[in-house]
Amino acid sequence: MSHKITESKGVFCVLAVRSVHFQKQFVVFFIMDKDSAESGLTWQVRANQRCYHKKQQKKSFLGFRWGRCSDNKICSHKYTFFTFIPLTLFEQFQRAANLYFLFMIALQCVPIIASIQWYVSIIPLLLVLSVRGAKDLINDMARRRSDSEVNSRPCDVLISQSFSTEQWKDLCVGDIVRIHKDQTVPADIVLLCSSEPHSLSYVETVDIDGETNLKCRQALAATHHQLTSEPSERTLADFDGVVFCEEPDDAMYSFRGQLHWRGERFLLDIQHLLLRGTVLRNTLTAYGLVVYTGTDTKILRNCGKLRAKRTRLENSLNKAVIGIVLFLLSAVLLLAVGCGVFTSRVMTRTEFFSALIINGDPVYTGFLVYWSYFILLSPAVPIMLYVTFEMIHTYHSKFINWDLEMYWAQTDSPAQAQCTSLCEELGQVEYLLSDKTGTLTQNRLLFRQCCIAGEIYGDSSTKAEDVEPMDLSWNPFSCGGLFMWAPTLVERLRAQPCPTVKRFFTALSVCHTVMVQWKEDAPVYQATSPDEETLVGAARELGWVFMSRTRDSIVVSEMGVTRQYKVLALLDFTSQRRRMSILVREPEGALKLYCKGADIVILERLQRHCPHQESVEQALELFSQACLRTLCIAVRSVSETSWEQWSQTLTRAAAMPTFDRNALLERVYDEMERDLLLLGVTAIEDRLQEGVPETISLVKQAGIKVWVLTGDKKETAVNIGYACKLLDPDTKLLEWQELRQILQSPDPGGHFQKIRQTDLWAVEKDKAGVQTAVVLTGPELTEFEQRPEWGAKFMSLAQQCQTVLCCRVTPGQKADIVTLVKKHTSSITLSIGDGANDVNMIKTAHVGVGLAGVEGGQAVQNADFSLSRFRYLQRLLLVHGRWSYRRISLFLRYFLFKTCSFALVHLWFGIFNGYSAQSMYETWFIALYTTFYTSSQILFVAFFEKDVSAETSLMWPELYKCGQKQELSKPLVLFTSLFYALYTSFVLFFIPCGVYYNTAVDYQTMAVTVSMAAVFTATIEIVLVTRNWTKFNVGSVCLSLLLYFICSRITHSKFLFQRAPADYLFYGASDEAFADPVVWLTALLTALTAVLPSMTSLALSVIRTAHNNHKVHIMCHQPVEMRSHT
Amino acid sequence: MVKEENELVNRPDNTAFTQQRLPAWQPMLSAGIIIPGFVLIGLAFIGIGVALLITSRSIQVLELDYTGEDQDSPCFRCSDPAVRNCTCTLQFSNDRLIEGPVFFYYGLSNYFQNYRRYGVSRDDGQLYGDLSYFKEPYDQCEPYRFGGGNNQPIVPCGSIANSMFNDTFRLFQNINGQRREVPLDGKGIAWWTDYNIKFRNPTVTPLRDAFNGTVKPPFWPRPAYELDTSDPANNGFINQDFLVWMRTAALPDFRKLYRRITEGDYANGLPAGNYSLDISYNYPVMSFSGRKRVVFSNVSWMGGKNEFLGIAYLVIGTLCIVMSVVMLIVYAKFKFPEEE
Repeated sequence: MSHKITESKGVFCVLAVRSVHFQKQFVVFFIMDKDSAESGLTWQVRANQRCYHKKQQKKSFLGFRWGRCSDNKICSHKYTFFTFIPLTLFEQFQRAANLYFLFMIALQCVPIIASIQWYVSIIPLLLVLSVRGAKDLINDMARRRSDSEVNSRPCDVLISQSFSTEQWKDLCVGDIVRIHKDQTVPADIVLLCSSEPHSLSYVETVDIDGETNLKCRQALAATHHQLTSEPSERTLADFDGVVFCEEPDDAMYSFRGQLHWRGERFLLDIQHLLLRGTVLRNTLTAYGLVVYTGTDTKILRNCGKLRAKRTRLENSLNKAVIGIVLFLLSAVLLLAVGCGVFTSRVMTRTEFFSALIINGDPVYTGFLVYWSYFILLSPAVPIMLYVTFEMIHTYHSKFINWDLEMYWAQTDSPAQAQCTSLCEELGQVEYLLSDKTGTLTQNRLLFRQCCIAGEIYGDSSTKAEDVEPMDLSWNPFSCGGLFMWAPTLVERLRAQPCPTVKRFFTALSVCHTVMVQWKEDAPVYQATSPDEETLVGAARELGWVFMSRTRDSIVVSEMGVTRQYKVLALLDFTSQRRRMSILVREPEGALKLYCKGADIVILERLQRHCPHQESVEQALELFSQACLRTLCIAVRSVSETSWEQWSQTLTRAAAMPTFDRNALLERVYDEMERDLLLLGVTAIEDRLQEGVPETISLVKQAGIKVWVLTGDKKETAVNIGYACKLLDPDTKLLEWQELRQILQSPDPGGHFQKIRQTDLWAVEKDKAGVQTAVVLTGPELTEFEQRPEWGAKFMSLAQQCQTVLCCRVTPGQKADIVTLVKKHTSSITLSIGDGANDVNMIKTAHVGVGLAGVEGGQAVQNADFSLSRFRYLQRLLLVHGRWSYRRISLFLRYFLFKTCSFALVHLWFGIFNGYSAQSMYETWFIALYTTFYTSSQILFVAFFEKDVSAETSLMWPELYKCGQKQELSKPLVLFTSLFYALYTSFVLFFIPCGVYYNTAVDYQTMAVTVSMAAVFTATIEIVLVTRNWTKFNVGSVCLSLLLYFICSRITHSKFLFQRAPADYLFYGASDEAFADPVVWLTALLTALTAVLPSMTSLALSVIRTAHNNHKVHIMCHQPVEMRSHT
Repeated sequence: MVKEENELVNRPDNTAFTQQRLPAWQPMLSAGIIIPGFVLIGLAFIGIGVALLITSRSIQVLELDYTGEDQDSPCFRCSDPAVRNCTCTLQFSNDRLIEGPVFFYYGLSNYFQNYRRYGVSRDDGQLYGDLSYFKEPYDQCEPYRFGGGNNQPIVPCGSIANSMFNDTFRLFQNINGQRREVPLDGKGIAWWTDYNIKFRNPTVTPLRDAFNGTVKPPFWPRPAYELDTSDPANNGFINQDFLVWMRTAALPDFRKLYRRITEGDYANGLPAGNYSLDISYNYPVMSFSGRKRVVFSNVSWMGGKNEFLGIAYLVIGTLCIVMSVVMLIVYAKFKFPEEE
């Protein structure tokens, strides 16, 4: 709605003669600038003044930037040919692990402390850097391609009196552009006029918020009249308006500005703005003024806010790595002290060695050895772990994307893991917080019943499919889709209906924000809210056909009579208000406010002694027992005088700055929505999604607590709870009164027991706790905010209960409940929802799952995972989550084990070489061990490992509990594997040491023996870990072993020795060692002794669980379908 | 048809890889496999252990310490570092024939040849016969890189070479009061790769010319080109004793092969009898409480005598058997209550 502001200061501007217009305009600008600045409108856009705006464009040189507005060229790629190497290195060295290894390399370059060659660390580091760098580069190239594709899209720009096609990147603030049908809008544009009547234009915002319905935008009446009358190029070229608006921000749904043109001011809001990325539909051409370009546009301002969620496992991994580093630091300190003592006690007395004491100072020698050992033991810090971890996460999320069983063919949407780093968290979920509407239910709404003037029509006891269709052939616009059997209503409508019935249907066909498109002489409705679409559709079937809408009017065909309602004000719906109203002038001239909304908000706004109120309330109860969604419809007659007054208040409120405005508007709206006359109630059925009860019972068996958070009424929520098996028929509901008593009592647990033992509760005393469910409503939840101490009590209580249902909660409260659970338990929470009202809780929970449903894409866009059906959750959690958790835990433990066991050998060897930081391995072996010999096998385990098949996982949901209890990743478990690594390193050194003590075996042979034993140990250990042998696993295990022998032969070869004798000292060592049976026997014995504990514990666990496993495996041979109706 | 396919563009591929249905072998572990498995491993290890132990027991070893720490030991006089060019004679007897070929080792204790800065203190370029390294030795050779009065390069440089073991031995059998020298074979005691490839004399004749402008390591009595003047194939860097020394030991107690007894009457071994060993005692070990010994031993397929390996195999094998018994008990405990 345009609000023209008459303006005292602007008077002389209107009087201004055209010739002196320019100077005057300057003055006006000055005055207006001041005004605008006060209200926060500091962004100034002058139409058709390219050179003025070009000067203000941002420029940059050598990292310095200046200028005010950005150009329309998007540049999401980071690297250029020259900056790639420095930038990627800079980014990667911000990671602690990489920096640590860089430090190691630097240390290794100091000859006096270089216990191993520099290339030992540089090979893994280079590998890590190049893998990550390559990944970044590939992503960046893809971005660069898409950037240049976007930047070179064509767009018609008005340049000197005519439109010419330019590329998007050349667009500038202040340009006037022409957009054709089905073109994408290149920047944020204020709509000036369009080819449609009233300069309406329709945009599709699917790329912005995922909503597929069309949205209507309309130009200012002034620009519409002035700019469409003549040939467009001329008038548009002469257009010299100035737009003052807010600085660029990321608020997608608000825009505030003023157009100053010909001495008048026109208010601009989001209704006048075409956002970049939206697509023009159903409109031949639209003309607009570019206000924000490039990175200033709303959509780009919204991009790039990536939330980095860190998983619980990652945290314990980081702790483990820090633990390793601390352990190393202290061990190294001990070794350095040992070195100092050895130097002063032994070396000084040996003439062959005394010269080797550096500077003749034992303390200094010890100090240097400290660093040498630091280098030598650094392979224990798993540098490769982080990059491998990332790779595994990526693959796990790919597996989720690829899963055909989570693919919903009807909408062609596969499951999607948008956040790739949370896969293993899915295997540890303990709390599932679910939205109801659209998540548990289909959100395919059917108008089943209504109550008009106290009389109920329709019957919800028959199933929707079984409803006999009514004869609606008298209605030319009927297209089916009404599942209601109410012949009496139809009769009444076709005869002369009473005014209440008429008004009821008028309200349904007028009070909404639905858009209409005509396809083959039938109206097709598109709505943001599925409820509205259903209601308007139902009204159409029954003869009240919503025909078309313009900015100011709505045309309705009422039983064949076309009537036009003039729209005066639209009091839109928000989740806070939970109602919407429309103020219209009827064709007869009367003013009517039609209002629809949630029952509690409407009922409290009724006029006194409203007729039928009691019968309507009874109907409401009846409907909600049948799990129907209800909306109350009401009307109010408004007098001309009160409209005048109210509209002035509204205009004032609308001009306020954003932050005050919303609160004020709400108050203003409230004034109008009063003294309503209740017309009736609609009842819409929202059917459960297929497979929901099965999924919920499965998930409950897996030990996950399911809570339902919904904005609906308590009765509806409870009924849905029963319907989806969340509540058993004999579940006792613990409501606020009792809950409050329990929470207030000093001993909540005891009180809870007591309450349960009263006759009221104790049907089955011992099972009472399991059979209790807490039901809360939104207003009651606000009490929690005032009493923070109740949180812990409530959670301990809730843990004993079957479920918790929260009804009538706002989006904010949903998030608060998630926070409550997160705060008082250490459990992983998962939120699942489909609508914009679930975005808060999806973002708050550890894992957010969005359902791609009817309600647009906001939930999906903010979620970590997106699914198409609720029932896919069972596969996501019990199969993918469980596998992922298991794979990643095994990977972590193995990785820590292999690096530590291999590096810590030097601790023990130190005792026998005078703490001199002598390496137990050939330097090449150290470099190749982590990269070649032991990396691929564990990678394939982390990709393909499965202890039981997907079917079995779903068959035995109890298997999931392993993840909840963190059985594979507890700190104790990680500590055990580190301790095991220490034991292994002990064995790796002392058995060869025992064999070779006081023999003629030289150092190099022993080094080969120990390295062979280390490779054998790592290989046997991976064989013990792997339960699922694919060809990749077999191949990589064989290949790694083979690679060890091949690489040893290569690095010990004559060829390399002759070229660099100092680097390939081990020439000949493997010739001798591999031919010596004692070496083989020693390596074999060492490896077997090293893995004996792990073999034994595996064997014991197999034997102990033999019975259970047997059962599981027997079951696997039976074909098992996914538990759902499909 | 085409349209339908287009509509399902997002449909994931139905391959074994993407659906995680790669054909795989899932070993079904059960008590029936594991317990016999453990028994088998145990038995195999015990078998290897017994074989190793029997082999090891069949090896005859004669080990004699000649450090001279005790006053009544023959080398006590020589153990004083002040005494130079000292020779002592060790008398010993063996009761029965040590079957040939007999290997003659010297052994050192508490000697850290595996000390890092000692181990790297060598110049492989020099030892490879590369004359450029004769002028500018590798800097890890410090402090035995340059020496002598004029600070000339040391060849061979570094600690290892400098500390070369220089006791020499001559073995005699006492037959009827007569000393009969046992021929010692010094050929082929070093690794083939060391002798033929890793170490090489510079291709300069005479050899001593190559060493012009260099000095010998400070502890050496004579330069490298005089290590064995009688045999050019055993002189310089390819001197077998030098090669054996340069192959550094793994642990602080070690043996190194000195000679083999393969010739003449002793080709079949050292017969029972009395022997005397003349030791030219040069190498000081007393200062760091080191020990020196000589070892006569024959060898088998597993090299020298090695009890540890056999015993370790037996212990681990027994442990496996014990484990399997424990597992059997556990298995019974978990199994039988259910069968009842």
